[in-house]
Amino acid sequence: MRTLLALLTCLIALPALAAPRSYTLDAENSAVAFFYDFGEEEIRGNFTLEEADISIDFDAVQNSSVSVRLRVAGGHAGFPFATEAMLGPRVLDAANHPEMYFSSTSIRRTQAGASITGDLTIRNVTRPVTLDARLFRQQGAPVGGFDELVVELTGSVDRTDFGADGWREWAGDTVRLQIFATIDAE
Amino acid sequence: MPLRNTDTTFGWLSRLIHWLMAVGLIAMLVFGTVLKTMEPSFANLWMYDAHKSFGLLLFMLVLLRIIWHRLSPPPAPLSGVPLWQERAARWAHRTLYALMILVPLSGWIGSAATGISVRFFGLRLPQVVPPSAALDTAGFAAHSLLTKLLMAVILLHVLGALHRGFVSRDSSLRRITRGV
Repeated sequence: MRTLLALLTCLIALPALAAPRSYTLDAENSAVAFFYDFGEEEIRGNFTLEEADISIDFDAVQNSSVSVRLRVAGGHAGFPFATEAMLGPRVLDAANHPEMYFSSTSIRRTQAGASITGDLTIRNVTRPVTLDARLFRQQGAPVGGFDELVVELTGSVDRTDFGADGWREWAGDTVRLQIFATIDAE
Repeated sequence: MPLRNTDTTFGWLSRLIHWLMAVGLIAMLVFGTVLKTMEPSFANLWMYDAHKSFGLLLFMLVLLRIIWHRLSPPPAPLSGVPLWQERAARWAHRTLYALMILVPLSGWIGSAATGISVRFFGLRLPQVVPPSAALDTAGFAAHSLLTKLLMAVILLHVLGALHRGFVSRDSSLRRITRGV
């Protein structure tokens, strides 16, 4: 993963470009991190982004769209015991539900970036969630260069809303998300 | 000290397995009960693997015991014992053997069904069942119920043995302690 921290300094001032631009995912340089409580500790886990379709209208952000697909079995929950528990039938049930999806339904601009509301499907259960989005330009990219961007999505979900309610005596209900997706213009 | 059982006495191997299992089972029943009420944390994560490892060890011991008793049958019950006591002892022994097999087996099935690998002192064992919510629920429900039944039958067995040893004062208890 390239130096994402450096990207944080490159928050884009959204320019006025006419039509939505389509982007494809650079999966190798993207990651879904999640955080949950395990007793007193906060544990970090991750998934690999499998596929994402992103279209950004820099001029009218409400015309943008995001859809993301994740492979459940590729996930790690911080340590082996937790990973096996997470992928097992009590939580994500990877054998029967091998993928998770997110598809935006509405996007609005906010002071810091955008707020994306969409449908998240986990274990075949679809619930609305809202994520905060920020866009970054790659370090060293020319001013006005939007061919390669990084989208940061943050938010949280209650896993019990999706029926992923096993091992509650071990792991907290709230799962905090931090997604970095590197995207390339088509 | 003979290895093999005779018509009237237990050999040292049968007695050794009996007492190893007695200590092991009581310790595991206490351990499992404590484990169920404990706040999970990184500090006690190892205990779950230990419970599975020692449970599997007891499972192996009961299988070894059954095989050994095929090769060297245990002595017949003492004569002169009231019929109801003889019947009660026979059923208690049969139930104990069934539970010594079913308790670890149900725990193993329930554990494997969660998708979490079952390890025997660090060695990862093959999945006995695939990850399954139904087997997970059924396995642990059976494990919990059978464990309570095992506690009750062990108590009955111990009371019966003490009665024979200290009230009836026959050689039942001595046969399994000292082999005479």
